[in-house]
Amino acid sequence: MKTYILRRLLLMIPMLLGVSLLVFVLVYISPGNYLDALKAQRDIPAEFIAKKERELGLDRPWYVQYVSWLGRTVRGDFGESWSYRIPVAELLAQRAPATLALSLTSLVFAWAIAVPLGVFAAVYRNSIFDKLSALSAYAALSIPEFFLALLAVIFASQWGVFPTGGLSSIDHDYLSPVGQLWDYVHHLILPTIVLGIGGAAGLMRVMRTNMLDVIQSEYVMTARAKGVPENVIMFRHVLRNAINPLVTSLGFAFSGLLSGAVLVENVMNYPGLGQLIFQAFMRKDRDVVMAAVIIGSSMLIIGNLIADILLAWVDPRIRYDK
Amino acid sequence: MPSLRLTVLNSLFRGVAITLAALLIPACSPRQKLKREFPPLPKDVDIITKPPGRYGGIYINVDPGGGPNTFNYLVAEDATSMGAIGTVLEGLVRRNSLTEEIIPGLAKSWEVSPDNKTYTFHLREGVKWSDGAPFSADDVVFTFACIYDERFPNRHASDYSIDGKPFKVEKMDNLTVRFITPDIYAPFLEMVGGGPILPKHALQKFADNGTLMKAWNIGTHPREIVSTGMFRIASFKPGERLVYEPNPHYWRADNTGQRLPYLDLYITKFVRDQNASLAAFATGQSDSEGITPDNVEWVRRGEKAHNYTVHERGPSTVCNFLWFNQNPEKDKSGKPFVEPYKLKWFQDVRFRQAVSHGINREGIIKGVLFGRGTPLWGPETPANTKWFNPDLQKYPYSPEKARELLKLAGFRWNEAGELFDSAENRVSFTLNTNQENPIRQHMATVFKENMKDLGIEVKLQLLDFGTFVKKIGESYDYECGMLGLTGGGDPVGGMSVYLSSGRMHEWYPNQKKPATAWEARIDELMMKQLKTLNLAERKKYWFEVQRIMSEQLPFIYLITPNSYEGVKNRWENVEIPKSGGITWNLDEYYLK
Repeated sequence: MKTYILRRLLLMIPMLLGVSLLVFVLVYISPGNYLDALKAQRDIPAEFIAKKERELGLDRPWYVQYVSWLGRTVRGDFGESWSYRIPVAELLAQRAPATLALSLTSLVFAWAIAVPLGVFAAVYRNSIFDKLSALSAYAALSIPEFFLALLAVIFASQWGVFPTGGLSSIDHDYLSPVGQLWDYVHHLILPTIVLGIGGAAGLMRVMRTNMLDVIQSEYVMTARAKGVPENVIMFRHVLRNAINPLVTSLGFAFSGLLSGAVLVENVMNYPGLGQLIFQAFMRKDRDVVMAAVIIGSSMLIIGNLIADILLAWVDPRIRYDK
Repeated sequence: MPSLRLTVLNSLFRGVAITLAALLIPACSPRQKLKREFPPLPKDVDIITKPPGRYGGIYINVDPGGGPNTFNYLVAEDATSMGAIGTVLEGLVRRNSLTEEIIPGLAKSWEVSPDNKTYTFHLREGVKWSDGAPFSADDVVFTFACIYDERFPNRHASDYSIDGKPFKVEKMDNLTVRFITPDIYAPFLEMVGGGPILPKHALQKFADNGTLMKAWNIGTHPREIVSTGMFRIASFKPGERLVYEPNPHYWRADNTGQRLPYLDLYITKFVRDQNASLAAFATGQSDSEGITPDNVEWVRRGEKAHNYTVHERGPSTVCNFLWFNQNPEKDKSGKPFVEPYKLKWFQDVRFRQAVSHGINREGIIKGVLFGRGTPLWGPETPANTKWFNPDLQKYPYSPEKARELLKLAGFRWNEAGELFDSAENRVSFTLNTNQENPIRQHMATVFKENMKDLGIEVKLQLLDFGTFVKKIGESYDYECGMLGLTGGGDPVGGMSVYLSSGRMHEWYPNQKKPATAWEARIDELMMKQLKTLNLAERKKYWFEVQRIMSEQLPFIYLITPNSYEGVKNRWENVEIPKSGGITWNLDEYYLK
């Protein structure tokens, strides 16, 4: 197992090199650069723009820029944001907690809905409930996330019970600690639902199928024949075996923790990483974009690895070492 | 089976119950009342002439710019950051946006020497920074030392220099500062006097160790960002909001000795787009909002329900224009930027005038702006009351006049009504503009139709902003461009546009020497207006520049949308100027 993990981690290096090179070149060849916004202002002198170009290294060929970026990044320095003038790491750290909170709540939400509903649908297979849940799952899966987010914003502004966006209310600083906590929760509810509902629908269908697979297996029939109570069969035997494949999906969920909410954050004005990164893309704040890409792809690779390890852990039949 | 059903139902019910309970837990804890401090007023306090108001109130503003990137004056490049800095850092002088006069700020008075090159400012006595440290001439000297410091490259250094020579800034005594300019510099008071003064006691250490550019960033603790303005920063949450509270040491008060501002809090909430901030205002969540012409109608419908008024401010300072590429040079491979036969049309003033006559500006205003716009004939919009020249050559919509001019210039039409030049080339060109601005796109479409009536074929090509900027500023491979620039203010802001050597002299930028006699004349006038402090004389020069621009039409001016501002009715002392932000006198606002 150890050598397997080591091999996978080593494979990360060429992967990240490839990804970073690709993104770097894409940023470079896409028209314009960070200085466009300055060039469009009539009272900024040309000498200042030229000076700035030298300072940021934008006057050098792209491969020189890439090598110097790579050299810095390898030493653990993500560089400095051009528009904020603070280290990229600091900038990302400022926004990461909000995104992490949203990703985790929506993950919990998805699981909390998907597992019981999936179980229910399997137990009452072909009932009206099963059909309704299938219908709503397909509906939830086919509505794009950003559209759902838009609907949520409209809903919030019409109904007035939920805030239309953001992470906290304007009087947040003047609330009691309990009030502040509630304020966060209140703001998290809608984005959590929007972000979680697609995942919930998918998970639910998987849960249902797994349950059905296991219910039809021979040992369940044996248990029934022995007169084991139905709820013991369902919860002690069937559910445990049926949930295994879902456990591995936790690994994939890890990869989306920081980067999975870009659309929702932007539509719902949620001040997380996604919003920051989107803005950095638009502004061509290169080092922020690069750091986001590196973190995102590292987490994807590690997430996959975690999924594989979890799979081996829950299913004794799978072993990676020969 | 039944037991299972019960278990599942039970857990479902429990979940619903918890959610409901969470929703109903009272979120309302009493809002803490602002604790005001009352340190004594400075000796040279500025007493306002308006009747006294009373303390209290929260003013909420929604900013679609997404919030400041920095609080560092040397770093800031965008309007939102500059706005936040301007709220906490005052300049030596201020501008009354209503009357456009320069009024005292941190300096109570100033003198200009007879040779018009030396300015002596007398600072207010007893003024303190928000942390209680005294404000003095050292702060002023420090500010300019930082701006000119080679270690801290910033956009202001060249604004504050003439031909590369910086101003001399000297401390005469603790409360007197003298500036000596190497040559006469007309906009000195507005440009230099109005610039924010940085706190020496707070920033000296960063200047000493060379990290000044990293100081006062968005991670800095709000208390470290000291203020001389009406507010200081109470809290800042990136991507969310900026909360200001009154600066306890602010230097303005009313005639009963109440220190301004009256407001308890001033909150700027950040959103990512214009529609979100407009929606916030229209649903009563913010106190003021700039409104574009196409949105006026529906926002007005909420006036009663949310107790606000949409005020018409007249023409805005946005100048929309189009121009032809007149650059006669060649690129590196020897290919001319513009086809030589097309360049001949573009350089012919009769062609440009014909195009201008052919544009139905009233139609654009009616069709695109619902009648809420004003036609433009020159570089200034009427919003800039001080510098606007109303007496310009105008080109009212007249296809007949346009045809006459084209005929004079040797163009002719075939049977199908298509226009050809004397060398039998079909008159056709591509209009480039950026795709982010829907109003400009609509204008481009109307223009295309107008030109079709004259037999001219216009192809529209929408580009993304970066590509467009590159085309007009670096590669020059285009024929015709359309752009909107926010103007207003002193003519010095247009130096890079009107000087033939300028970077934004779009029709032919960065000329070694002026290509035409009228461009040479504009160069001369622009330099002249910069070298005199006599306002009447400056006006005369700048008016002539506007006149030449309207006759020669290197830019074909189109229209300016009118501007509208919605403000809640609950505020007293709201004074909406013709141009610029409406919260310029926010320190005087109080609840009715």
